[in-house]
Amino acid sequence: MSADKANSNKGKILILATESCAYPGANSVGQAHSPYPANTYILRVRAPVLFPEKFYIDCFRKGIGGIIIMSCGEECPYEGAYHALAKRIDNVFQMMKAHNLDIRRLRLTAICTVCNRAFLKEVNEMNKLIEELGPPEYKEAA
Amino acid sequence: MEPSRELNFDALVIGGGIAGLQAALDLADQNFKVAIVEKDATIGGKMIRLSKVFPTLDCASCITTPKMAASAHHENISIFTYCDLTSLKRDGQEIKADITQMPRYVDADKCIGCRQCEYGCPVYVPNHEEGNFNFRKAIYIPFSNAIPQIALMDVENCSLCGKCAKVCPTGAVDYFQQPEDFVIRAKTAVLATGFKLTPMDQKPQYGGGKIQNLISSLDMERLLAPHGPYQRVIRPSDGKEPDSIAYVQCAGSRDKTLGVPYCSRVCCMYAIKQAMLLSGALPLADITIYYMDIRAFGKGYEQFFQNAKAMGIEFVKAKIAKIEQADNQYVRLRYEDQEGNGGVVEREHDLVVMSLGMVPDWNPAGVCDVACDTDAFIKSTIPSLAPTVTSIEGVFAAGVAIGPKDIVDTIAEAGAAAMEASKYLNALENPKAA
Amino acid sequence: MSTKKTAETEEPRVGVYICHCGGNISDHVDVKKVAENLEKVPGVAVAHTNMFMCSDPGQELIQEDIKSGKINRVVVASCAPSLHETTFRGAIKRADMNPYLYEHANIREQVSWVHHGEAATAKATSLVTAAVAKAKELEALDPIKVDAARHATVIGGGIAGLRAALDLAQRGIEVALIEKSPFLGGQAANLERIVPTGERAADLIQDLAAKVMADSRIRVYTCSRIVKSEGYVGNFKITLKTQPPDSQADLEKLQEVAAKGEKPGRFVPFAGFLAVKVPTTASEQVLDSGAIVFATGFSTYTPRDGEFGYGQNPEVITLPQLIRFMSQEKSRGRSLTINGRTIRRVALVHCVGSRQIPGIHEPDADGGLNEYCSRTCCAATLQAASEIRERYPLTHVLEYYRDIRTYGRGQEEFYERASENHVMFLRYEPEDPPQVERLSKGNFPLRVTVKDTLTFGEALSADVDLVVLSVGMVPSRIADLVDMMKLPVGADRFLQEVHPKLRPVELANTGILLAGTCQAPMDISEACNAAAAAAAKATSLLSKGYVELDPFVAQVDLSRCKGNGACVAACTVDAIVMQTVEVDGQSVERAEVNPALCTGCGVCVAVCPENAIDVKGWTLEQYEAMVDAIVAD
Ligand SMILES: Cc1cc2nc3c(=O)[nH]c(=O)nc-3n(C[C@H](O)[C@H](O)[C@H](O)COP(=O)(O)OP(=O)(O)OC[C@H]3O[C@@H](n4cnc5c(N)ncnc54)[C@H](O)[C@@H]3O)c2cc1C
Ligand code: SF4
Ligand code: SF4
Repeated sequence: MSADKANSNKGKILILATESCAYPGANSVGQAHSPYPANTYILRVRAPVLFPEKFYIDCFRKGIGGIIIMSCGEECPYEGAYHALAKRIDNVFQMMKAHNLDIRRLRLTAICTVCNRAFLKEVNEMNKLIEELGPPEYKEAA
Repeated sequence: MEPSRELNFDALVIGGGIAGLQAALDLADQNFKVAIVEKDATIGGKMIRLSKVFPTLDCASCITTPKMAASAHHENISIFTYCDLTSLKRDGQEIKADITQMPRYVDADKCIGCRQCEYGCPVYVPNHEEGNFNFRKAIYIPFSNAIPQIALMDVENCSLCGKCAKVCPTGAVDYFQQPEDFVIRAKTAVLATGFKLTPMDQKPQYGGGKIQNLISSLDMERLLAPHGPYQRVIRPSDGKEPDSIAYVQCAGSRDKTLGVPYCSRVCCMYAIKQAMLLSGALPLADITIYYMDIRAFGKGYEQFFQNAKAMGIEFVKAKIAKIEQADNQYVRLRYEDQEGNGGVVEREHDLVVMSLGMVPDWNPAGVCDVACDTDAFIKSTIPSLAPTVTSIEGVFAAGVAIGPKDIVDTIAEAGAAAMEASKYLNALENPKAA
Repeated sequence: MSTKKTAETEEPRVGVYICHCGGNISDHVDVKKVAENLEKVPGVAVAHTNMFMCSDPGQELIQEDIKSGKINRVVVASCAPSLHETTFRGAIKRADMNPYLYEHANIREQVSWVHHGEAATAKATSLVTAAVAKAKELEALDPIKVDAARHATVIGGGIAGLRAALDLAQRGIEVALIEKSPFLGGQAANLERIVPTGERAADLIQDLAAKVMADSRIRVYTCSRIVKSEGYVGNFKITLKTQPPDSQADLEKLQEVAAKGEKPGRFVPFAGFLAVKVPTTASEQVLDSGAIVFATGFSTYTPRDGEFGYGQNPEVITLPQLIRFMSQEKSRGRSLTINGRTIRRVALVHCVGSRQIPGIHEPDADGGLNEYCSRTCCAATLQAASEIRERYPLTHVLEYYRDIRTYGRGQEEFYERASENHVMFLRYEPEDPPQVERLSKGNFPLRVTVKDTLTFGEALSADVDLVVLSVGMVPSRIADLVDMMKLPVGADRFLQEVHPKLRPVELANTGILLAGTCQAPMDISEACNAAAAAAAKATSLLSKGYVELDPFVAQVDLSRCKGNGACVAACTVDAIVMQTVEVDGQSVERAEVNPALCTGCGVCVAVCPENAIDVKGWTLEQYEAMVDAIVAD
């Protein structure tokens, strides 16, 4: 299965993309046929506020190299959810430090349904970063 | 011949293009029983035959097939394809339609759409669905995403070799099938009979249809479709990849001498769309659009036009006076220069597309006494406030049948026709409420 | 449902269907290979490929496997789920399986259109494997049925709002028609004769408004605004505030009406149809409504100070102002006169405030540009031009345009008529718009100079008495409603439909519909079509007396809930409450979700220390399974 291993030496990037903004935004990049690195895995979410801190830490523990949360930003259709999310991510950053994880591996951004350029920029930057950083060296918190 | 059966519905929709499908869905969702009668062997109209659609550049099939499938599967909708409407009249409180089911020479109940007959048939016929660019068999399913998936035989080209009947696993082929007359009675009707393109050979100064590599816009749609005849864009005469492609706008519209004084509304936008798709498919090709006015008036259309300009598509304001065959199967365009230094200019292109206009597909004369305007489209009797109302009580119209328009406007109008029809049905049921 | 039981108790057997999309996918992804890879994934019962999964034969492939009992979960890998998720759910439902035992993998927009070669095939394999991992965790769900009020609220009393209200009423739905001014008719009240039918706008408004007033199912609330909106499709609670008019424009119009002694029930030119008595005190009320139709319309673009000399020269006016002057102009002379001034030559400038181009046009105070075409101004300008020429043969007319967009049936005739009337046409490029300058001496107050592309870009100057700007449409100011109801707005600042072809009159907010020019510029007939289409959608929603909603809402696992209440505190829409329940003979507090209010955002999921609450169809466990599948290969 050599073809299927093509990406495995590179770190993997998990993208949590909101159903109403970033996920169609990623589709819009597709419609424009703009290429980007293939080690990206987009999961469709209703609102990323659903994920507890532990979810992120577990992802890194399992070997995910970087996570980009592509939200709707202030345009979030769920009242108050963006605010709650921003707070949650602050907590995750604290926990990441405790687990010896570079906090740049987690990004919170806003991507709209036609934000092609912003999408590409985020993905390319994260890809460059995890190439530099190598695989996450997760440690159990003290 | 006596009609074999009589069927009753709340609403009858004539035409299974996007207008007819949307009107039928909007009525069926309000719990009315609807019949769609389509003359073609598949529903979907022109839209299912397009490549991608402006202004979103969604693939046409991806937008049409959900509506086709939703209609085909709706519990309140019955679809009758390959039918000839011979009469549509008001009959007391009802609308009575006389319909002939044309013979497919394939038993629709038995056919499972496996295409064995098609594979077995030895006769190749130029495929009209693909602009005659490739071939189909004498027995065939219209195209891959047709609904219903039932084969039909083209008797004019059939050699009666019997192969199809032999290979059909269900014994569906029936060389002796006869036309069958039936009647549909409904309380209301929606006419959604759509359009055809103005003919290629209409204008002698445009070569009368005899110039090689001068093609119609619908042919270009097929060349651009992901599952089109060659799956790439080539010059039909010799298979050359074109370096220079041109569009002749208003070819067949805005021309009183042709009896088409009106603007066809979609040709500017589809030319721009095709030009954008072409510059994706053939990044090195030069694309020129010769136009009188660019009519990009819908939501997001002007932005679409400006994007095309920014992509390097050349827009030349000129009315093409003459089209001729040049050497090496090139096409020569002659026009009066307005923007440069004046005088007559000649330019040659590998491939030239005629942005043909729209004329009604259906001529009701002798079938239905619905009033038409001088331009032959169905007349709207309340044109501003209720554009879908026609001269016959309880009969409404939508889509290009009642005037050229794009898909977005067609879909809105189909919803409006469904609303008029549903109000009419409601008033019949509750005379006091109206 | 029997299938629900079997699906939950039986081992998952996933059917995987991979679409070629006629080459869109298969040109870059080796779909055969993906299917072969998937066949090896535990829990996958079958893996097929097909040219067009969305076609009938494609859907039948799934249905046959369901009916023969081979599979009890479905994964389709094809285009974006926005296009075909419902198509495949529908197909599954018709095969008598629960439609929510379905997961979609997007291998076109997010794979074949952006990646190539082996990497594309590998990524497609991973995404489909992840979808299978989620599918194995799926549960059967049932849509939520909510009772719906057979009542609709139409916001805006212009032509589209009147049309929508009448259509709804005639289908037996009660309607509240809300208009902020004292008048019905909206912007159309400022028109004289409309293109191309030549009907009087006054007659159209009078006709519709009188029917609306006569219909007992419609209640008209003028001088009213929505101050609060709560609830959800079928059950909106709308708070309405009615108060005496305070806008300068309304007060002036009311004075004029009073001076003429007009009473409610009649159309007043350039004001509208005075519907009911103007309120003298403020009042508030709450309406229970099943659906909301937006018909808030447009306002005309106000040129910037100095744009084509506007604001700096009294001789520069807008087209609506010209129409009004001309309707009041009773002089029968052979020249147009305006405020007593004889107009010998008039310049009409198209596309003012429309078709603006970044880098060429100056953005407005909010940084916005009106990049769109306003659709109606070309025909209206040509009509005005011909009317001037025909009524006042000594007044000459020049038109400065970019493209003449007389697209509608019967409109091209106006273009021709203007030419026959010797209107002179000059064509400009957006980079070189006509320049309007004030003349200090000579006969004429203004000079218009343009690089005319119809005469090889020659600079042509004309001295004129009047410049008329064909101003475009801008959406009405409804920022308060946009914020309150969280409505999607496009880059053009008009309300944004879900999809222009699939769901053209619906907003993403379920139960809120679009009618007319609040969505985009359109003319009266087009606005009426859109309004009727919106009414048809509202009727489909409300006529049954209930609406069916997606089942993706929060669900409490009572075996885990300890009643700590973190979810109640976290929920922003008050969809969770604490209820007293009996557990082992003891009264305890447990969380309970109101599914009709829950938006399914999942804010509660993350805060529950017991993992006792999840969003149905999007559970944490499912996400974890997907991540495991992605890291596994
Ligand atoms: C080259 C080209 C490209 C285009 N591209 C775009 C685009 O990108 N975007 C866009 O928005 N629009 C586009 N359009 C316009 C679009 O095709 C039309 O707006 C749309 O198809 C109109 O739908 P309709 O249902 O009114 O008509 P049709 O699609 O013509 O459907 C009418 C149906 O009625 C049937 N019928 C006719 N007479 C009878 C009868 N007597 N009995 C029974 N059935 C009958 C016909 O067979 C047909 O199936 C394009 C048009 C062309 C020509
Ligand atoms: S849409 Fe454009 S090409 Fe078509 S008739 Fe109108 S102006 Fe001509
Ligand atoms: S309708 Fe005509 S004047 Fe109005 S914006 Fe469009 S092109 Fe310009």
